[in-house]
Amino acid sequence: MLVLHAGPHREHLLVWAESNDPLGDVKTALQRAGMAMAGDRSMVQAMLPPGPSTPLLELAQDRPSARAKARKKKPVKTTLDTLRFAQRDAIQLLRAAAGERVLAPGVLVGADLAWCAMAMRYAAALVARGHVVPSVDGDRAIWLPLLVGDEGERFAALVASMPPVVMAFDPAADARVATRQFVGALADAIARAPRRAQPDGRSLHERWLTALTSGEGRITASAEELTRLKASVDAWLRPVMTQAAAPFRLAFRLEEPVEDDTAWRLHYLMQGRDDRSLLLPAAKAPRELLLRSLGEAAAISSTVERELARGHTEGLDTDATGAFAFLTRDAAALESAGFGVFLPSWWSRKGTKKRMTLRGTARAPRFKGKSGLSFDSIVEVDWRIAVGDAELTETELKRLAKLKEPLVKVRGQWVQLSAQEIGEALSFLKSKGQRTTLQQLVRTRLTGTSGTLEIEQLEGAGPLRDLLERLEGTREWEELPEPEGFSGTLRPYQKRGYSWLRFLEQAGLGACLADDMGLGKTIQTLALLQSDWPLHRRPTLLICPTSVTGNWLREAQRFTPALPVLLHHGTRRARGDSLLGEIERSALVISSYSLLHREAETLGRVAWRGVVLDEAQNIKNSETRQSKAARALPADFRIALTGTPVENNVGDLWSIMEFLNPGLLGNAAEFRRTFFLPIQTLRDAEATATLKRITGPFILRRLKSDKSIIADLPEKNEMKVFCTLTKEQATLYKAVVDEMQDALADSEGIERKGLILATLGRLKQVCNHPAHFLGDNSELPGRSGKLARLTEMLEESVSAGDHALVFTQYAGMGTLIQRHVAESLGLESLFLHGATSRTRRDEMVERFQNDPHGPRVFILSLKAGGTGLNLTRANHVFHFDRWWNPAVENQATDRAFRIGQTKSVQVHKFVCAGTLEERVDELIEGKQALARNIVGTGEGWLTELSNTQLRAMLTLGREAIGE
Amino acid sequence: MPRDEWDWWRNKPSAPRIAVEDGIKARSKRGAFATQWWAKRWIAVLEGFNLGARLQRGRTYARGGQVMGIDVQAGRVEAKVQGSRRDPYRVSIAMATFTPADRKRLGVALSASPLHLAKLLAGEMPQDIETVLEKERLSLFPVRQKELTTECSCPDWSNPCKHIAAVYYLLGEEFDRDPFLLFTVRGVAREDLVAEETAAPESATRPVEDAPKSDFWEGTRPSLDLIGDIDPQTRHALLDRLGPFPFWRGDRSITEVVGPMLDAAAGEAGRVLGS
Repeated sequence: MLVLHAGPHREHLLVWAESNDPLGDVKTALQRAGMAMAGDRSMVQAMLPPGPSTPLLELAQDRPSARAKARKKKPVKTTLDTLRFAQRDAIQLLRAAAGERVLAPGVLVGADLAWCAMAMRYAAALVARGHVVPSVDGDRAIWLPLLVGDEGERFAALVASMPPVVMAFDPAADARVATRQFVGALADAIARAPRRAQPDGRSLHERWLTALTSGEGRITASAEELTRLKASVDAWLRPVMTQAAAPFRLAFRLEEPVEDDTAWRLHYLMQGRDDRSLLLPAAKAPRELLLRSLGEAAAISSTVERELARGHTEGLDTDATGAFAFLTRDAAALESAGFGVFLPSWWSRKGTKKRMTLRGTARAPRFKGKSGLSFDSIVEVDWRIAVGDAELTETELKRLAKLKEPLVKVRGQWVQLSAQEIGEALSFLKSKGQRTTLQQLVRTRLTGTSGTLEIEQLEGAGPLRDLLERLEGTREWEELPEPEGFSGTLRPYQKRGYSWLRFLEQAGLGACLADDMGLGKTIQTLALLQSDWPLHRRPTLLICPTSVTGNWLREAQRFTPALPVLLHHGTRRARGDSLLGEIERSALVISSYSLLHREAETLGRVAWRGVVLDEAQNIKNSETRQSKAARALPADFRIALTGTPVENNVGDLWSIMEFLNPGLLGNAAEFRRTFFLPIQTLRDAEATATLKRITGPFILRRLKSDKSIIADLPEKNEMKVFCTLTKEQATLYKAVVDEMQDALADSEGIERKGLILATLGRLKQVCNHPAHFLGDNSELPGRSGKLARLTEMLEESVSAGDHALVFTQYAGMGTLIQRHVAESLGLESLFLHGATSRTRRDEMVERFQNDPHGPRVFILSLKAGGTGLNLTRANHVFHFDRWWNPAVENQATDRAFRIGQTKSVQVHKFVCAGTLEERVDELIEGKQALARNIVGTGEGWLTELSNTQLRAMLTLGREAIGE
Repeated sequence: MPRDEWDWWRNKPSAPRIAVEDGIKARSKRGAFATQWWAKRWIAVLEGFNLGARLQRGRTYARGGQVMGIDVQAGRVEAKVQGSRRDPYRVSIAMATFTPADRKRLGVALSASPLHLAKLLAGEMPQDIETVLEKERLSLFPVRQKELTTECSCPDWSNPCKHIAAVYYLLGEEFDRDPFLLFTVRGVAREDLVAEETAAPESATRPVEDAPKSDFWEGTRPSLDLIGDIDPQTRHALLDRLGPFPFWRGDRSITEVVGPMLDAAAGEAGRVLGS
């Protein structure tokens, strides 16, 4: 394993590798990441503290972390073996590294490389915004970034986030200057890449622009011509350059009248370009800067121009109309021209925060009992007008209209009123009892606007009120018992979740169940399907990642045994008409995302009762084929399941909501305009709140830490995780079984027992991982269903801030898991096994339990770690393979589940479906007596089985293979 | 229009003008040369000299790229113009500069009138600047013939000749772009107009006091979103703000050429950003 590092050095990017493998070098690392990049090898002096940059490089070294000691050491001169790239050649690498911890299995991204990737993305954003201009550097034509507007602030943030290692090659250099050079070179490389749009002529100026599209950028020109060109370019860029280089910018602050005074005051200020909180009165500003800025502002704001003509250079006084004009017109124009603007807190981008609003009461005219209400029902709305807290009569409204003031103070609050709004308000009052549909009413209520008027309140009367309030969660929805035929017990919060799903399903609305991992999204969904099947007898399609198809199948068989389930997956799956026939007979069809877009056409022909997307973050990018395929599936109800908090990621939300409730958030462009841009770039709190209000009714997310959930959760929550085998695993598994049967024919007694026990061990190794069975230290990714599932679940739990224990009975497998977690997630984990020394063990436990930045994953061999230790920081326990002795497993689980544990502990027992692992598990679960008396003692009882029994126990089931 | 006899005499037998590959191309392709009032005023001075057909030829020269270079300095503009002879002609336009006393009075007058100064610094000549100047008995534009001395090394006896006219037109366009150049020609520097009373603060960045020493190997999360908003609508805003290039030598304007290059670059940047 190695860590890739990078740092700018003069006009190059130096890439180097830090490895715990003497053969690991940059070149091989880049090759492993699929990058054909040819850089020049160069030995460069750098200042680095001794020791590795990350404990991940110290795997399998059974001694206290060398890093912990090395951290405090001072950097020393080191010679590094680097690959040197021109910036333009490094972009491919930086693109691949952006936002990743791991570039390829075993190739980790160092914080310095990550920072360089971020700098590259910033450079690309500069280019995309058009904040680069043609310029000259010596005899080269270059694209020069200009830090206009907000760029100064962004640039400063980039510099501030730099890890010191980036400057290892030039520790004495100024980080700001180095970043400036680096970003400049990257922006230049990106902007010149298209090699297009060449000017036509051969004049000096055209030769200059032509050179902007060539790789090197050399201008064919004499020294004299270059000097002339440089002077002209400087003259051309001067106005913007001086502004972008100035440490200050002009800012305007509007202040409302104090007490009874009627004068509004607009102050001119100088605002720090990098540090926006630094403000100076205009009088203290350099005069040329102030005057030039005012001259530019005067071209935008006639008020500023007029007052400047009167000699006012420090601010101006105006009245309510002038203030309103500044608020609505000048402020935005000045801001977008790069001036700072500070407005009173009661003003928002859309106007005064207090506005004239609508209040309405809706009623369903002919309401015939509960079943009569559907989303197409007609309802009537009675509207009233309010300003602030008070409702206004028609007479009062007309009086306000006569004032003709755009900004009036109503009961101490500044309120903006337009003739249009007042007109709309009056016409609303006239149309008493507006008719609309219930669906429209819900949408209006959630979006909160009608025309230009905001809806402050829209209530339902009678049963309508119940429905609206249940939808918004202000009233509990009806809590249902487990449906008939459901074989299992729902915990109280699961009953609430199931009832919520059912409520939305019946209303024809899509639901996103986003409970924490381990809270039972599967079981709640299955309860819904069970309740729905007898009513409609039409199939529901469930799409999930390949790694969990087996789990869904087993959970369905366990909790909803009466539902016909079809696993549509694997190479032997049905196709065409025979598939459609099978689907028609099923209540639940389980398939995967990869099949979703491959068979979109066939799946789209089925009239689905419902479509459920598990791990719905798979469709967060609305443009991918699987997202489009998911949206195109016809269905009466739609459900999205996810453990990641979708509501926090504005960009991802649209795609999932568009799947669930098409049109609710507008089309992609509208969404971008109304929500994405305001929230992402302006941090618009109001847009955020509106978005939460609209989507809130359709997202249910409960956390394990929620008080109401803690009360419901058992302190220890055990669940099975059913995994599938890869083809390779299945082939190996069959080979081992066949080999045993051949040998079994002519062996008996001790020899027979030994053979069986050895075979069991080998089969368990195959289920764990082919590399574990083969012991050949080969590649890990993509070869084991179990390891894939474990990796996903660890990633999810760690990103939720949880800590996990992973038990295996094989030290060899533990090493593989530790390696894989490091290589594929870039996560440090601890590994305790039989050969670990006592001091080392104590140190590991200490780090896991108490170090705030310590590893969150602790791998333990069952024998070494199964007893004695106190690991209560963990709230997840994974049993990667099974001892088949509940007592031993429970003892291991109790490392986390014991005194001192404050959270509920989730215990995940991994089982490969269709293999001996599952059959033995069934025996233990099903036959308690047997389990206690025979099975409980270990694996010896298996050797007592007859050859036929043994074959039945070991033969691979059809459902075992997951690909 | 009466045909100018010298032009007739010179042009008829002589070889056509030699084409220049790298000449300054006028932005104006037809009609008037300047768009802003101050530049129009400058052109009007030339057109008041009653040059006849030489004016039209001057325009053709300016548009055809015959002017090879213009150097603007206090009191003097020098240029090279390619005619029909092998060597380009040397043109000079000399204008009386303001005296130091004039400049001082002008500085005082303008500091009392911040709007004029502000606009001037922002690249715009205020409409009524002449009123301010008149009060000080100054004029930006030459009013008397003797304030302006033009010379050209061509054999044409009339002065101004078409070469001088061509340079004059291009100067007009350059004044359009940067009105302050009119002051430069009059010998007025920026410092004459803006009396810098306050010393500029050195930096707007507060000294970072006891910044937490970050781990050598680890950076911090940037305090704000570095990618920010990317709005294609405003992509050309900076380019438009820079405006025309001084004495541009291309057939199409710099914005026409660079605009599509910027779009292509933004496309590439979008690809890099993965959107």
